[in-house]
Amino acid sequence: MHEYSLVQAMFDQIDRVTREHHAQSIRRVRVTIGEYAGVDPELFQTAYEVFRINTPCADAPLQITRVAGSEELLLDQLELEVP
Amino acid sequence: MCDVCGCGDTSVVPVDVHERILAGNDRAAQHNREHFRTHSLVAVNLMGAPGAGKTAVLEATARALGGQARLGVLAGDLATDNDAARIRRAGIVAESITTGTACHLDAEMVHHGLHRLPWRDLDYLFIENVGNLVCPAIYDLGQEANVVALSVTEGEDKPVKYPTIFRKADLVLLTKIDLLPALPEIRVRTIEENLEAVMLRPAMLPVSAKTGDGIAQWVQWLRGVGHRRSAACATGAGMFP
Repeated sequence: MHEYSLVQAMFDQIDRVTREHHAQSIRRVRVTIGEYAGVDPELFQTAYEVFRINTPCADAPLQITRVAGSEELLLDQLELEVP
Repeated sequence: MCDVCGCGDTSVVPVDVHERILAGNDRAAQHNREHFRTHSLVAVNLMGAPGAGKTAVLEATARALGGQARLGVLAGDLATDNDAARIRRAGIVAESITTGTACHLDAEMVHHGLHRLPWRDLDYLFIENVGNLVCPAIYDLGQEANVVALSVTEGEDKPVKYPTIFRKADLVLLTKIDLLPALPEIRVRTIEENLEAVMLRPAMLPVSAKTGDGIAQWVQWLRGVGHRRSAACATGAGMFP
């Protein structure tokens, strides 16, 4: 269940980007999970649902792109709500 | 906020991040790797399922190599000091990294573990990962080589059932081969074929920590890692990422 620690690491990245852009909230989170990333996308999604409560991502759906034959595990893009 | 009427409307902007989610661990791993290379220490990440024989391999390694090289172990364990205590009894320095509920070691845990070990005096550091064929595979610890212990009692199909960890392996130690006579249904050739299907550079050594079979070849492989690392450092080339 390392997916929880991965999502925790991702939230640290999201927090950094949110502060850099003075964003109020997140509208969408996009990630890439490769076939050989060693990550179960469903568990990653479940962990995200747990972590996002009471965070700027509370209303942000997680969009996962799966890539065959890849080891990549990337935070691709955030849609930020900015003033 | 909307500048036209002051209504409080916000705008939504896409921000491309394109960053590895493990970027923080990667930085910590690179920090460990620089330490290891500066002190000519060969670090090996030893992974495998619970009961695969990781600790027994290290005990056998201590018997075979302990008199010729300075060895040390960081042993990942959820709740006990048992593995590190066994290894210390084999005559080499060892400390536990107690992970609590974590199913893997990460680079930061290894870094903190180094603080409790005289690692600068070592030739080889073995990082015995938490027994698990899934989670440890994706965390770079700063090692020179990944080794997976796979015991003959685990069945022939483990490589294809858990491809990620075997894909990351530089070597698979097929352990407990002394039990093969009692396991007529297990074919070593089938295990090899399954490894060939998933490993990027298939390499397997059959060993028995109990009888010592294959341990000399394992020690020779370890020396080869050290030699290749030294050569890579001399030329400025990287052996592993």
